[in-house]
Amino acid sequence: MKEKKEYYTGMFQWTLLFLNCMAVVFICTFIYVTTNRIRAHYDARNFLGNVMTIPDNPRMNLWFCLILLGMLVINFIFRHFLQSEHSRGAAFSLLAELLICVVIIYRLDFNYNGLLLLVFANVIAYIKDSKAKMGFLLFAIGGYLLADYELLSIYMPLFNMMDYVRYYTFTSQQWLSCIWNSMISLNIILFVGYCFSVINIQRGTIAEVNELYHDLQNANEQLSEYADMAEKMAQTNERNRIAREIHDTLGHRLTGIIAGLDACLALVDVAPQEVKKQLGVLADVSREGIKEVRRSVSELRPDAVERLSLNASIRKMVTDMGKVADTQIYFDAGGEKLEFGEDESNIIYRVIQESITNAIRHGHAGQIWVTLKRINGEILLEVKDDGIGCKEVQSGFGTRHMKERIEMLGGTIAFDGQKGFKVTAHIPIRWGKTDD
Amino acid sequence: MKLLQKRGSRCIPILLLLLFTAGIIFIIFYCRKPRSMVLEFGMFTGSNWNVANANSFVIIDNAIARFEAEHPGVKVHYYSGVPKEEYSEWLSRKILAGEEPDVFMVLGSDFDQFSSIGIMKNLDELIETDETFDKEKYFSSALSTGKYGDEQYALPYETVPTLMFVNQTLLTKEGIQMPESDWDWEDMYNICRQVTRDLDGDGILDQFGICNYDWLDAVYSNGGEIFQTNGKTCYLAEDTVIDAVKYTRQLNELYQGQKVVRENFNEGNVAFMPLTFAEYRTYKTYPYKIKRYANFKWDCITMPAGKDGDNVSQVDTLLMGISANTRKEELAWEFLKLLTYDEEIQTQIFSHSQGASVLRAVTQSAEMEAIVQAEMEEGDTVISGKLLGKVIEEGYTAPQFKKYEQALALTNSEIGEILENDTNIESNMKILQRTINSYLQQ
Repeated sequence: MKEKKEYYTGMFQWTLLFLNCMAVVFICTFIYVTTNRIRAHYDARNFLGNVMTIPDNPRMNLWFCLILLGMLVINFIFRHFLQSEHSRGAAFSLLAELLICVVIIYRLDFNYNGLLLLVFANVIAYIKDSKAKMGFLLFAIGGYLLADYELLSIYMPLFNMMDYVRYYTFTSQQWLSCIWNSMISLNIILFVGYCFSVINIQRGTIAEVNELYHDLQNANEQLSEYADMAEKMAQTNERNRIAREIHDTLGHRLTGIIAGLDACLALVDVAPQEVKKQLGVLADVSREGIKEVRRSVSELRPDAVERLSLNASIRKMVTDMGKVADTQIYFDAGGEKLEFGEDESNIIYRVIQESITNAIRHGHAGQIWVTLKRINGEILLEVKDDGIGCKEVQSGFGTRHMKERIEMLGGTIAFDGQKGFKVTAHIPIRWGKTDD
Repeated sequence: MKLLQKRGSRCIPILLLLLFTAGIIFIIFYCRKPRSMVLEFGMFTGSNWNVANANSFVIIDNAIARFEAEHPGVKVHYYSGVPKEEYSEWLSRKILAGEEPDVFMVLGSDFDQFSSIGIMKNLDELIETDETFDKEKYFSSALSTGKYGDEQYALPYETVPTLMFVNQTLLTKEGIQMPESDWDWEDMYNICRQVTRDLDGDGILDQFGICNYDWLDAVYSNGGEIFQTNGKTCYLAEDTVIDAVKYTRQLNELYQGQKVVRENFNEGNVAFMPLTFAEYRTYKTYPYKIKRYANFKWDCITMPAGKDGDNVSQVDTLLMGISANTRKEELAWEFLKLLTYDEEIQTQIFSHSQGASVLRAVTQSAEMEAIVQAEMEEGDTVISGKLLGKVIEEGYTAPQFKKYEQALALTNSEIGEILENDTNIESNMKILQRTINSYLQQ
């Protein structure tokens, strides 16, 4: 489609070139022929009495213009070989074209300035830089207006082609004027048509870009759906794993313990000694079970928290999410080093993660501030953003989950969606290590 | 296109570039191409003053011989055999084809037209830069004829003032003194009234005061101007012009409607007739002297002064100019200077032509008087160089603008009508002024 359009633009350029060459050849030949006719009829003195001025030498003028036109065509073909990647070559070629056209127009004493339209047309096609294009076009349009015969003939003596036309009989005059005016009009029509076609091509490009953008947006949305789905699947997988884990470890142990205890019940009256021994075994099995539970729990914990301190984990998460979501996230951990139990670390980590995720996903926040510090014997956790917030905080899965988690630590949590979104949690300090 | 691109996408641009360069080289070559060292000179045969002139080439030939000797390798070529009547068309045809000579004579009727359409080279720069050239050496009236607007487009070559022929025999017969050179309208009118008579008593006048004296002669001698120098307005309703027309009518009224023609003067029956200096010289010398005016003695004096003017008459000048498109500007200028500015060549005008030199020093020299005297009979008074110089210097020169010839012809025929009919001159001149102004401003 685009190639076809470019083909049409090329056709326009060639037609414009052809028409302009015809017009120049027409003037030069007409003046040469008319001069010979006047001389043959011995009307020269009479003719000179009725003109403003005359061209220097009509025959030489004809040759001169023919050679310049030849150069114009060569230059035109040359530029077609260059293609657009040689922008410097094209600029040089356009400059040469302008120069040739100006010389021809000057030789014709500004009787025909349509050549400038040819230059504009080519400039529009070849100059890609829009500023340079505008500059050149303004310059050229100014030139076109200034290079007007009627205007210039006020200031300088210019020969008038109409003086030569008037030499003929009235009917011939009408025919000549008709041919000449149609050439000029056709040139302008072609130029306007050409401009339209160029604009059309550009408009086509814009539509294409719009379409591509639309596709991109669709793909983006799909991707985000996939991401949600993947998260849900991960959650399901995780639940399955936990279930499996519980089933495999606790279930297995408890079944064993129950079986052992049943045996003890049966034996307690018969062989108390045996029972004692058996209970010892059961206690061992229970301890083993506890170990396994701990192992499972530690496996379930987020990797970051497992390996790093809470502060470092949060910092890492903040940096990662900031990168991924293109959001500025600031983390303020106060001055002192806070120590938490594993469950506390986990919950705080999860709450911050959930809040940031909400801020980005629902609030479309550009900046997020995370504060974690000790105030009046309490831990203050605050996550606020500059996003769109919400008038009424709806109790969704996310917020309910956070509330449950914080309550597990004996703390309170509040949500405020007035200016951006703000999550504030107060957690009582439980210094020392939590044991089993 | 695509095929070409595939086959020689590298060769073709280079080939095109070569062709393009060839075009540029050709154009540069064309612009700078030195033409052959032949200087073309355009002239007409015969006299510019409508008198027989057998020696028109002599001065030019002499000048060319000198020029070629001074500029070795340069030839001057001129077209011979173009009569004056055909010269304007001949030159116009050359000009139209862009083949005009480098240096050429310009007729007075062509000069304004040719200058206005840019065929004549503006000589101001050449005059300015040439230190050996002093334009003060020309008669200012002659030099100003070559001006179009304020710019000098041509230099004068030969000049001819208008003088008043006097039939001395007739005046002596009537007992009238030869007028002084500072005579005025009234003197002339009185003489005319005195001599206008019916000699044979048949009721028809057969002796007259003046013939061929027209209103323009009167305007010039009355200090009047007909057109503004730029040709935008005319001054037909000015007193100087109206008085001149009135004076002309007054003279005509003496003849009671009879037409006085040149033949009457030739027969010896008219006291005065304005003629050019060229005619004076032609008919004062052999062989023309015996053909005309053989039966009476005659001489010439200045024109009579009007009440607001001086003893001034029109001065005609033959001009020469350089083509605006000449490629041999310097040579052309040198040749033009040789013809118009060289005293030796200019002196030859007195011996080989009928006009006067345009250089003050030449026209007012004793040598000129000697040359003119040599051609005349003993006892004929020779117009003195001083008087001739004065007449030329103070002479009236027509303004140069494009419509001058047509406007003058139009005015002339209208005033002829006014003079013929017994109408009110003042009001008619005012109407005419409006008509001519509207023509000039078209």
